[in-house]
Amino acid sequence: MIALPLAPLWILEYLSALTILILNLLSLRLSQRLVVRDPENALWLFLNWLAIVFFMFSITHLISHALHDLIVYWNHPNLALAQRIFGGFDTVIYVVIASITLFFHRIQRMYRRMEADHHHLEETSHEILALNREMEALVMERTMSEMALGMAHGIRNPLHVIGGFSHRLLRKTDEDDPSRAWATAIAEEARRIEQMVERFEMLAQRKTSFFAQEDLNVIVRSTLELLLPELKAKRISLVAEICSEPLVGRFNKHLLKVALSHLVRNAVEATRPGGTLLVRTAMEQKFAVLIIHDTGRGMPQDVVEKVFVPFYTTKIGGTGLGMVFVRQIVDEHRGIITLDSLVGQGTTVTIRLPHRFTDRPEVGEEFPPPPPPAAPAAPETPETSGTPEPPKDRD
Amino acid sequence: MRRRLSQVCPAVFVLVLLSPRYALAQWVTWYQFGTEGSYVHEIAHLLFAFSMLFFIHEIFHARLQRFRGFRLLVWTWAILTFWNLDAFIGHWADWTLHNPVILGQGWGRELLMYDFQTWLVYVTKIDHSLFLVPAFLLFYLGLRALVQKPGAE
Repeated sequence: MIALPLAPLWILEYLSALTILILNLLSLRLSQRLVVRDPENALWLFLNWLAIVFFMFSITHLISHALHDLIVYWNHPNLALAQRIFGGFDTVIYVVIASITLFFHRIQRMYRRMEADHHHLEETSHEILALNREMEALVMERTMSEMALGMAHGIRNPLHVIGGFSHRLLRKTDEDDPSRAWATAIAEEARRIEQMVERFEMLAQRKTSFFAQEDLNVIVRSTLELLLPELKAKRISLVAEICSEPLVGRFNKHLLKVALSHLVRNAVEATRPGGTLLVRTAMEQKFAVLIIHDTGRGMPQDVVEKVFVPFYTTKIGGTGLGMVFVRQIVDEHRGIITLDSLVGQGTTVTIRLPHRFTDRPEVGEEFPPPPPPAAPAAPETPETSGTPEPPKDRD
Repeated sequence: MRRRLSQVCPAVFVLVLLSPRYALAQWVTWYQFGTEGSYVHEIAHLLFAFSMLFFIHEIFHARLQRFRGFRLLVWTWAILTFWNLDAFIGHWADWTLHNPVILGQGWGRELLMYDFQTWLVYVTKIDHSLFLVPAFLLFYLGLRALVQKPGAE
């Protein structure tokens, strides 16, 4: 039977304990630097807390082990109470380490969710900002176009009068009358101004570049194709009832896709797995109609009334601007949006957009060809024609 | 805050020292296996080990092992897990060891290795240098890597 020396064991133990103490002190300083650099980082805070507890552990562990050895191997039973206290501290510290780590697990999960929400909110904000800019540009273009057309119309009316009178004067003036040249000049200049106005009108009409001849059915189909994976992921069956006739109108394809995507996503969120989403397009007398109906949880009347109120939302992390933009998009198309909902039965959103079935979109041609050069100013006299008819506005 | 702590901590320590004996009843023989204190201490080691494993899982779940600093920290937690299991066994062996035979005096003391348990006590006492030093060295190196180059892979 052999006997092994205890001294090397003790030397090793206390040298190790001192090394651990120094390493933990250095680690504590490093963790504090991490926290100073980014005080809101949950991971750095956790590592700092852990470094603090590890440092405490290195002290109490060293003391409790030293006391234990003194009692057992050096016959100092009077140190028993101190050893029990430091041993108790050791136990407490292990529990604290475990608590911090397990608590951090929960915090980390919340932190990750907060980060994901933050990114989502940032993305949504960017999208909303881009959409807002697009809407502003659209409104500005439309306003400018309408103003230009209004101005052209305002100039054309007195021009008709001037042209008519100058032609009448020309007819009533003798060939050798010196004032005939003046009347000729007035008639020619009036004609030139009218040609300029016509060109101006043409340009103003071309300004409506945000709207093009589009088929609503095509827009709906392409949007649903994009969203199909989201519906499948939630096991929602899609029923698409697309009108057999093309629903052509002057639409902004991008904005309508944004609006439709938002409405479909809202419906998907509200519908339980196994539910049904119906998307229908139809033709009414003056409107292309789009209906989105879901079998979701529905909304009470007080919520329905506030759906289009800016910043009103029932979703956690929602901006309350989605439906506001949808309505603005519909408004920009001179359309109407209505929303009906019953709790437990689902929600129906109906959009009516004015259309023109006479203008079918042509491949590679967004706008109809410009009209032929304008005819010279009408030669009718004010007496025969009365107030000249204003030219019809073109969209 | 620090001033208050420096006042409160010694006061608590003195209070514990001067408290009636029965308040410390559960501590009296805490290093002997079978007492409440020994159970609490052993369970605390297991809890410590479990939490370290949990943290390793957390690092991998968050895909932080791509970074050098976190890889070193994973090794820290892994070694600390082993240390806790070693300490669990070591404490059991130490606290259940009846009348260890110690020969000699002072620094020349020797432990008579008369059975397997004595060997277990002797071997598990090396755990400080075997496990704790590398564990805390890796903890320090991991933190240093995070401080110097947080995004280094």
